[in-house]
Amino acid sequence: MAKLNIVQKLFAAGPLILLYYLSISEIDTNLEKLFEVFSLNLQIIIIYFWIIKRPNLMGPGHIFLAGLINDVVMGFPLGISSLSYLLVCFVGNYVRNKSVNTTIASDWFTFFIALIFANLLFFTLLNNFSEVAISYAKIGYNTFFTLFMFPVFWLLFNFYKISFIGSQDA
Amino acid sequence: MSVSRDDFSIAFRSALLQRGATQKFSIFSLIILAIVIFFLDVYGFKAIKTTRSFINDVVYRVTYLASTPTRIFPGIHQGIASHFNLKKENEELRQVIERYKSLDLNLEYISNENKNLKKVLDTENVESVSNVVLAKVLVDRNSPFLKSIIINKGSKEDIVKGMPVTQNKYLIGRIVETNYLSSRVLLLNDLNSRIPVTFDDKSTQAILTGGGTRKPTLSYLPEDFQFKEGITVFASGKDGIFTAGTPIGKTTDYGAVELFVDPNQLSYVTVNLIKPSKEVF
Repeated sequence: MAKLNIVQKLFAAGPLILLYYLSISEIDTNLEKLFEVFSLNLQIIIIYFWIIKRPNLMGPGHIFLAGLINDVVMGFPLGISSLSYLLVCFVGNYVRNKSVNTTIASDWFTFFIALIFANLLFFTLLNNFSEVAISYAKIGYNTFFTLFMFPVFWLLFNFYKISFIGSQDA
Repeated sequence: MSVSRDDFSIAFRSALLQRGATQKFSIFSLIILAIVIFFLDVYGFKAIKTTRSFINDVVYRVTYLASTPTRIFPGIHQGIASHFNLKKENEELRQVIERYKSLDLNLEYISNENKNLKKVLDTENVESVSNVVLAKVLVDRNSPFLKSIIINKGSKEDIVKGMPVTQNKYLIGRIVETNYLSSRVLLLNDLNSRIPVTFDDKSTQAILTGGGTRKPTLSYLPEDFQFKEGITVFASGKDGIFTAGTPIGKTTDYGAVELFVDPNQLSYVTVNLIKPSKEVF
């Protein structure tokens, strides 16, 4: 029984481990070698999905820390990724408070709002308070592909949730 | 109507301030903390810079360790593939050696000619760079926005901002951030990279501009300039940062430059310890 508990805890910690690993490792979701314009922000998808479905698995403290680590690795001003991740977390929390039953379509729509807010904040701060120049085309592609790929990851994470964590939503 | 407004404010407040059973912080408090950290970092107080430098060193090393599996598995695959291709590779290497032998003879002639021409021009003799530091690439994360790498040498080895970084004598970028044990190198294809360059038999001057794509482009060229493919582009050294004559890449017919070194395939690089004549970044 105790062994089963450890396995369950490991599965439950899976999304958080993935979030930290994506922030700290060299693994990236920028497949420009295959398709020059393709890049997506998987961290935002992970945060939004799990905040809506299982907020107890994705605490804001961890999200904040993952954002700080991401900033250090990517060379952005400290706190900027944390702010955008926390904004996604806030929209997710709000949507969860206001809705009873969510579907993939409703989650996709609300994710669009969260993504727009998060990217707007991120790039406004970067543009005004940092010397780092960023291509607006790249921002557009990144936002588009992140939004476009959301349903794919929704299905994957939902499968993971049902198979390894339990089907009941928060 | 008032019920709906109450509903909104309750959901809004709850989303910002609520803490779950396992959550120690509310989103609101963390947002405030993130804003404070952001402005402390942006306005660069000395204590924060020192702290950030320390955090950078620790995180870069953890990143290097965390990325070990992604480096080992492709390495094993390449190792097996190269084992089966040894004979073919041996023949190819023999051909390369023969070609280099003939090039070596040409090189001696060209070097002598170059020295004589410099004497004629009475120009400043550009000494070859002997003060270099070999560094290992710790982190090579391919961001869609910033094209940079982290190396395992920092201010401890007298590396300062602006120093040029090369691989096999080919220019790949410059130092933009230094910590005690690590540094960040801005690659030539980053959007923030601008390098004065020279090329072709007329010594055409231009600026090599990174665009965030794989191939940087040439800008500020003479009017009606016609691009030719395969011309080697060198750093002109006019910025007082890069050594004049450092090769960078070859031109394409549409004004881009195919870099000699693939920015996504860097393992070891050389930092040339030339102090830039002006503050960079």
